[in-house]
Amino acid sequence: MAFGVRGPDDVTVSIDENALKFIKALQRPGKPDLLERIIDLFTTESPKTLSSMIEGIDSMDMEVVRVAAHTLKSSSAYVGALDLSERCKELERAAHDQNFPACIALGDSVEDIFADSCNALDQLMSKAA
Amino acid sequence: MVGDPPQAVQMVVPSLLREKPIVLHVDDDLASLMMAEGTLEDAGFDVVQAANGQEAIESFKEHDPDIIIMDAVMPVMDGFDAISGIRQLNGGEHVPILMITGLDDLDSITRAYDEGATDFLTKPVNFFILPHRVQYMLRSKLTADELRSSQAKLDNAQRIARLGNWEWCLSSNDFFWSREFGRVLCLEESTNIEAWSDFLHHLDEPDRSNVQLIAEQSVEEKQAFNVEFSIVSWVDGSIRRLRLEAEPYCQENGQCSHMLGTVQDITERIDAQKQIHNLAYYDLVTGLPNRAQLSEQLRYTLKLSKRNDSKFSVLFLDLDHFKQVNDTLGHDAGDELLQQVANRLTSVVRETDMIIGGNGADTDLESQHTVARLGGDEFVVLLSVINRAEDAARVAERIAQAIGMPYELGNNTVNVTTTIGISVYPADGDDFESMMKSADIAMYHAKESGRNGYQFYSRNIHEQALARFSLEADLRVAIETDQLTVAYQPKIDMKTGELSGVEALTRWRHPEKGTMDPSVFIPLAEETGLIIPLGRWVLRQACEQMQRWVKAGWPPMVMAVNCSAVQFTKSNVIEDINEAIRFSGLDPKYLEIELTESLLLQDGEKGIQILKDMKELGIQVAIDDFGTGFSSLSYLKRLPVDKLKIDKSFVDDLATDSGDAAIVTAIITLSHNLNLTVVAEGVETQEQYDILRSYKCNEAQGYLISRPLEIDDFETWMNSYHSQNLDKVSGM
Repeated sequence: MAFGVRGPDDVTVSIDENALKFIKALQRPGKPDLLERIIDLFTTESPKTLSSMIEGIDSMDMEVVRVAAHTLKSSSAYVGALDLSERCKELERAAHDQNFPACIALGDSVEDIFADSCNALDQLMSKAA
Repeated sequence: MVGDPPQAVQMVVPSLLREKPIVLHVDDDLASLMMAEGTLEDAGFDVVQAANGQEAIESFKEHDPDIIIMDAVMPVMDGFDAISGIRQLNGGEHVPILMITGLDDLDSITRAYDEGATDFLTKPVNFFILPHRVQYMLRSKLTADELRSSQAKLDNAQRIARLGNWEWCLSSNDFFWSREFGRVLCLEESTNIEAWSDFLHHLDEPDRSNVQLIAEQSVEEKQAFNVEFSIVSWVDGSIRRLRLEAEPYCQENGQCSHMLGTVQDITERIDAQKQIHNLAYYDLVTGLPNRAQLSEQLRYTLKLSKRNDSKFSVLFLDLDHFKQVNDTLGHDAGDELLQQVANRLTSVVRETDMIIGGNGADTDLESQHTVARLGGDEFVVLLSVINRAEDAARVAERIAQAIGMPYELGNNTVNVTTTIGISVYPADGDDFESMMKSADIAMYHAKESGRNGYQFYSRNIHEQALARFSLEADLRVAIETDQLTVAYQPKIDMKTGELSGVEALTRWRHPEKGTMDPSVFIPLAEETGLIIPLGRWVLRQACEQMQRWVKAGWPPMVMAVNCSAVQFTKSNVIEDINEAIRFSGLDPKYLEIELTESLLLQDGEKGIQILKDMKELGIQVAIDDFGTGFSSLSYLKRLPVDKLKIDKSFVDDLATDSGDAAIVTAIITLSHNLNLTVVAEGVETQEQYDILRSYKCNEAQGYLISRPLEIDDFETWMNSYHSQNLDKVSGM
């Protein structure tokens, strides 16, 4: 796979709507909207994780990169951002393997896909609302 | 185990006494926590959350959760370190932990188990399934808790009962045992018992062989067994008594596969039993056996006496001034007096066998003499074997004397006396009650008669005992004060009519009762052992007298002296003879010892040896009362003797009874064939003399010739016999 050749415009990410249905199914009556809270959490918390990841790459701290990638991998999976989750998994592996060049490339990719995924989620949520 | 430190009882109680089980959910991903929370709460759990391992440990300490869901990869502290930390916490050893790992992360799964995770779940977590998994783990945990609880209860129960259990697998020889088993056997912590033989190795012989044998038998016979053995505790060196019980278990084919057993420390129980026994059978004040113990002992003595046809005696006694001591000096002084009396009684009874001579009695029985306290000031002495009633009288006298000595009680000197009643088996009773009652009644008679002393229950026995007792005392005095004399009865050679010998016979002139019959006092002397000094004295006298006659130039003859069975078996008769010969200077050829036939039969080889020793000394040996025993001819041939004396009973009817005549002829013929001289005893008529002479009998002794004569009379007789030359006998 050739990294860094694709611009933001080329990329289309899709959200697995089953994941969102799944979260909705966990909703208990009379309680705050679980899906809304989780999406909010994703959109507010994930940028922090993402910047931790970028800082890790900048300072070549692979452990920080690995933990950040791992965290983002699972949180994105829960909200159905499977492309992002998949890319995070690759990054986590690269960080684990101390493959620094791959980390740089994957880090850029994760940043792009994250932005797209957030957009896609926004669209889906507003459609739903 | 003695010295075992007191131990806190650890009970494991299933923890779900709380209404809702608590789940601690640890994850750095807030979304995860949020999603799980609802389903877990719906399933009936209280949920506590933590964002990393560090928080998880703190939360565990605070909430004591029933189960933990733990993410693996987390910042600050990851799930693995958190598990390891929690496992080390008090109560954290057994809490179930469900680890959440990545689907493809095999390393994490392995590591999770290594750190102590109970189970794992892969991401993404299915939050609908999660509560079911948690429920399942919780149920397992409860089962495990219950198992641990019951194991702990069992351990505690075993510890309290000092009872350990074990299992021996017969095919593999493996041996499994509980912790308490180790404590009961006083095993050190490091001890390793893996096989039945390792266990046996901890026992000492003969217990080891015994346990092994019984266990093997049990397997063979498919029977349960129990066996007791002792071990020495390494903690304090005390001896512990252990009881092992076991049952073999068999398979369907009948083959025993294993054995289940217990081992219990029963030292305390046995001690308690002993103490109970002591309380039941011993008197607390004196430590002597009480009535119950006496009763058992007496019943046992009765059984033995019946079997052995022997006598025993009960001495019943009380203290004559005990009440006064109690009233004036107090109960403590009274108890002290009783203890001292008990000690004196015990030491008298210990000497009993010496006091009564212990003549040929069974030594087992002798040791069974018992002193008991019935209560108050009443004591009983059981003499388990006596030869004669006088034995009991002698012990009673000794007791009266011992108890009559002054007592030091604190600063006071006290004198008490005792009165003793005596019953003798079988005359006075044949069971415990009658023997006790007779002795009791005898004691009251003794009190009524106002004498400080003893009384037999039976008047007859009492009088006989007293008579014999005093006769015995008199005989002792007689030996010491020369009341005894020796009389001599002549024997003549039937061929020549010459005097051939004399028999020395003991005479006792009692200062009050006159001349005593030897048939009365010789048996008494034999019973009491007085025959030994008496016999020695006669031997000495006879030798000295004979030596005087030899020196005075009297014609040669032989001095015969009797030797009784007691002398022959219980004293060194050879030494006595040697002494007498040396002391008198008599040529041994002038001395003859007469022994009864029955005595020689009794003593067999030892008797023959003594006879040989006599011959060695150069003296002659005659067999007395021949024909009354049952000597075989071959036996007679082996005896180194010189003479046979035909018993008077055959001579008596010689003229009228052809049977007796035949016996006498036979004895004479036999004797001549064996080169023995034959002497006829008790020749009283001329007719008897003539017949014996015609049978070629060698010598005669009897009233026809002369009765036994004391020294002066004998010398007169001898002179006149020589001058007459006894025409009427020798002229035929």
